[in-house]
Amino acid sequence: MTTRARAPWWVFAALAFGMLLSIGPFVWMLLGAFKTNADLIRVTPTLLPERWTLDNFSRLFSEGQVGRYVLNSTAITVVVTLANLLFCSMAGYALGKLRFLGDRVLTGVVLATLMVPGSVTLIPLFVLMSTLGLVNSYAAVTVPFFAGAFGVFLMRQSMQSVPDDIVNAARIDGAGEWTIFSRIVMPQLKPALAALAVFEFLSTWNNFLWPLVVLNDQERFTLPVAVAMFAIGEYTTDYGLLMAGSVVLIAPVIVLFVALQRYFVPAIALPAHFRTLRNRN
Amino acid sequence: MLAVLGLFAVAGCGGTQPGGESAGVLRVLAWGTEGSRLDDMAARFTRENPGVDVRITSVTSSAAHDKLLVGIAGGEVPDVAVVGASYMAALAHTHALETVPADFDQGQFLPAAVDAVRVNGTAYGVPWFLDTRVLVYRTDIAEKAGINAAPSTWAELKEAARAMQSKGGAKYGISLPTDSWHIFLPFLYQAGADITDGQRVNLNTPEVAAASAYYKSFVDEGLTPGVVREGFEIAPAFVRGTHPMFVSGAWQMRLIREVGGPSMDGRWAVAPLPRGRAEASTFGGGIWTVPKGSKHRKTAWEFVKWMSQPAQQAELYTAVGALPANRAAWALPALADDPHARVFRTQLRTAKRPPALPEWPAIAAAVEVRLDALVRTHGDGREMAEQLDAAANAVGAR
Repeated sequence: MTTRARAPWWVFAALAFGMLLSIGPFVWMLLGAFKTNADLIRVTPTLLPERWTLDNFSRLFSEGQVGRYVLNSTAITVVVTLANLLFCSMAGYALGKLRFLGDRVLTGVVLATLMVPGSVTLIPLFVLMSTLGLVNSYAAVTVPFFAGAFGVFLMRQSMQSVPDDIVNAARIDGAGEWTIFSRIVMPQLKPALAALAVFEFLSTWNNFLWPLVVLNDQERFTLPVAVAMFAIGEYTTDYGLLMAGSVVLIAPVIVLFVALQRYFVPAIALPAHFRTLRNRN
Repeated sequence: MLAVLGLFAVAGCGGTQPGGESAGVLRVLAWGTEGSRLDDMAARFTRENPGVDVRITSVTSSAAHDKLLVGIAGGEVPDVAVVGASYMAALAHTHALETVPADFDQGQFLPAAVDAVRVNGTAYGVPWFLDTRVLVYRTDIAEKAGINAAPSTWAELKEAARAMQSKGGAKYGISLPTDSWHIFLPFLYQAGADITDGQRVNLNTPEVAAASAYYKSFVDEGLTPGVVREGFEIAPAFVRGTHPMFVSGAWQMRLIREVGGPSMDGRWAVAPLPRGRAEASTFGGGIWTVPKGSKHRKTAWEFVKWMSQPAQQAELYTAVGALPANRAAWALPALADDPHARVFRTQLRTAKRPPALPEWPAIAAAVEVRLDALVRTHGDGREMAEQLDAAANAVGAR
């Protein structure tokens, strides 16, 4: 066991201050979800509700039928995340571990698509969905995102941490590519997969504009679209409903973070590109 | 988004449901509180017209606008779409909307409403609900300040604001947001400004200067808050009595009653906006349109016709306070017996639409930003008019 030197007090103070700043809005949101609307828009705001109420949540679940949207969002997000774990790893393996004609060019193309902002591809993607007859289908909010460029690049970079010698040794022993991929390489990439899972989950779960544009039937809406629809009126915002909806919206994300942080914290701590290349949509 | 890989994925992953739907499905895109009340009405339409399955998608107005634009660009549009009056010209200029069938009786609507659906003389839509701005004020605070009638001129409005602040015990005299063209525009019209020649916006006029100076004087004298914080809601402030006057529309009546409860009864009233050189207000609302590419045009126009009937229009007023476009609806008890409705009806006679320019939404946004900065400077009305004009025409520059 190693003994680490204790950081000076001001490091803790600075970290505590930073944590307070980042947690503050969440605490405000969580407490706000239990306030009445009149309480929320008081001119001298108070942190704690004057009178605790579950009214926002009961309205959310009765008027809003939130269960339906939670189900939609969960199904869509899980499918997209699993697909990314599989396809991005496969593509990353091909680009990172196999040598073939044009492999570098192909990596460059993947990187290039990463630079295109989502707002530019919105309409072409919609036209594509329209041509394929997929507008207003669950396929439209899942299939186009099955292999994100960010994920492919992330997995390709992670593949490089696996020594070529191990791969070659397996090849000499007669292992096929699928065996090498699934038995040798993948088990070593758990941190990268955990990080990819969290990022994909987050971006799919939070995506607003695309589901709004491509889905028409209200019963197919995702949770972010539904929360905005119920809480934000033409001239007024129902802040209580918005806060309660946001709590329901971020709860699964926090659970996922806590559950997976053991795996992905090392992955985030190592390659800095995790954060800089996050901007997928 | 990786469209290329997406394409592969689609090819490899068929078996999704086809996009085609039965002939009887009518897709309606709506927004706002009005849109959120459509489900019940649509169900009734279906009962009266068996075989037509109306599916309402109702989101916020900006979301609906985005959705419609992407749909038009992508060639997949709703069968019927509600368009905001200020977006009407922009959409009509894209040639994305059907013209209204010649046999559709537009004579049943108020003249101002009919005007709002026309772009270059052609009707591209049918007015659904209207919206105009009036003066809302606290009668109890006014009485305390020695005012017994609603202010009817600019001078009286200023006087009333001063008195309510100094003698009425209110924190401010009036609430005039510095960053909202919705509230600023009526003052331009009241000053007699004709802000467009149909091609471009002209704000560099003596009339705009007069209105700007008048508007700014409320900030200078501390009669209205110079800064409005994000998320500020006028109804609670009005009920509390800190902001005893403001300019707003019909939807606000319900909010005041909701926030204030029975104790507010008889303590507030509405009046037409005070007169400058002219009596005027702005005009907005929702317009039914049928986008080109609608798969059920005939049914779509039948649905619009049905929604325009007086009974449906009065129902919407009772539910959410949306002013009917149909003249006959104003004679029904829901409106005829409502004192607020009479004020709105009066105001509608002098309400003018926003300029019918495709760039108007962008211009309005630019003017708002500049106005917000200008009211806190030392410039006079003429300088403000020059600067607002520059901001507006920087948008229109092509």
